Amino acid sequence: MSTTVDIPAESSAAAKGKAPLIGLTSLSHAKGRGYNKGFAICDFLLRLGAVISALSAAATMGTSDETLPFFTQFFQFEASYDDLPTLQFFLIAMAIIGGYLVLSLPFSVVAIIRPNAVGLRLLLLILDTVALTLNTAAAAAAAAIVYLAHNGNPSANWLAVCQQFGDFCQKVSGAVVAAFVSVVVFMLLVVISGLALRRQS
Amino acid sequence: MRGHSYKYVATQVKFFIEKGKFLLIVSNIRMSIVEFGQAKGLTSTPNRGLAIVDFMVRLLAVAGTLGGAIVMASTEETLPFSTQFVRFRAEYDDLPTFTLFVVVNFIVSGYLLLSIPLSIFNIVRNTAKNTRILLIIFDTAMMGLLTAGASAAAAIVYLAHKGNDRANWFAICRQFNSFCERISGSLIGSFVGVAAFILLILLSAVALSRRN
Repeated sequence: MSTTVDIPAESSAAAKGKAPLIGLTSLSHAKGRGYNKGFAICDFLLRLGAVISALSAAATMGTSDETLPFFTQFFQFEASYDDLPTLQFFLIAMAIIGGYLVLSLPFSVVAIIRPNAVGLRLLLLILDTVALTLNTAAAAAAAAIVYLAHNGNPSANWLAVCQQFGDFCQKVSGAVVAAFVSVVVFMLLVVISGLALRRQS
Repeated sequence: MRGHSYKYVATQVKFFIEKGKFLLIVSNIRMSIVEFGQAKGLTSTPNRGLAIVDFMVRLLAVAGTLGGAIVMASTEETLPFSTQFVRFRAEYDDLPTFTLFVVVNFIVSGYLLLSIPLSIFNIVRNTAKNTRILLIIFDTAMMGLLTAGASAAAAIVYLAHKGNDRANWFAICRQFNSFCERISGSLIGSFVGVAAFILLILLSAVALSRRN
C-alpha cells in the first residue's frame, strides 16, 4: 500500500482542456497574428499606391502651364497654377501629403514585422486622419475652382476659362482626380488601422 | 491490527490531500476571477470617460453642421437698386458649390443625429468593440464628405472675397456685403464639425486600443 501522492504539474481542469485562462490567451495570440499581418501588408500596399497618386497630382498641377499661340501687344495669354491661389494651396498640400506618405512607409513596414504593436497602429491611425483632412480639403477646393473654370457662373459674371485654355484645364482636372483617388486610399487606410486595432485588443 | 490502523491512517491522509488539492484549485479559480474583475475595473472607467466626451463632441458637431446648413440656405440679398431687366440678387442657389455645401451639411447632421444612440450605447457598454469599429468606419466616410463640402465652399467664398484678375472673375463681395458675411459665417460652423469629427475618430480609436 503506497501513500505517495503525485500532484500533476498543471491542474486537472487544464489537463482536460477546460481551464478558461490558458486556452483564451493562446487562441487570441494566434488569431491576432494571422489577421494582423494581412492587414499590415494591405496597409503597406495601399500606402504605396497613395504615394504614387499624391505625388502625381502635385506634379501634374505643377507642370500645368499653358501659353496660347496668339498674343497682342499688351497681353500674353497664358495660364498657370500660379494664377489661382487655391491651386497653389493644392500643390503645397499634395506635396506635404506625398512627403508624409513616404515618411510613414517605414512605420508601415515595422507594423508588418511586429503585428501586435498597438501604439504604432494608433499613431498611424491618428496621423492618417489628419492627413486625410488636409488631402480632402485641398482636393475639394481645387475641384470647386476647376468646376468654375469648366462651367463659369452667369449670376456672378464669371467666364468659363476652360474654353480658351484647353490643355491647362485638362491637366488641372487630372490632378484633382488623382487627389481624390488619394483621399479614398486614405479612408481605407484609416479603416484598416481601426480593424487591426480591434483585433489586437 | 497494526496493518488495519496503517490503512486507516493512509486513507485519512489521502482524503486530506485530495481535499487540499480541491481547495487549491477552487482558490486559483477564484483568484483569477478577481483578477479579471480588477483588470476590467481598471480599464472600464477611462473608457467610460472617453465615451462621454465622444457623446458631447457629437452634440457639438450636430450644432455646428446644422447651423452652417441653415445659415447658408437662408442667405439671400437683393440690392436696393435694380432695373427692369437686370436683377441684382444673390442667393445660395446661384452657385452650385453652395448647394452642395447645404446638402452635405444636412446629410452629415442627419448622420450625427442617428449615431447618437450608438454613442449612448458605448457609454453604457464599456467594452463594446463592434459598435466602435462601426462608428470609426462611418465617421471616416462622413468626415471626408463634410471636409470636401466645406473646403469647396471655402474656395468659392475666397474667390468671392478676392476675385481673380487673370481669369477676369469679379469679387462679388464688393457689391453683396451681407450675403458675403453670412456665407463666410456659415463656413465656421462646418469647420467646427470637421474638427469634431477628427476628435471623434481619435476617441474611438483610443477606446478600441485599450486592452480589456
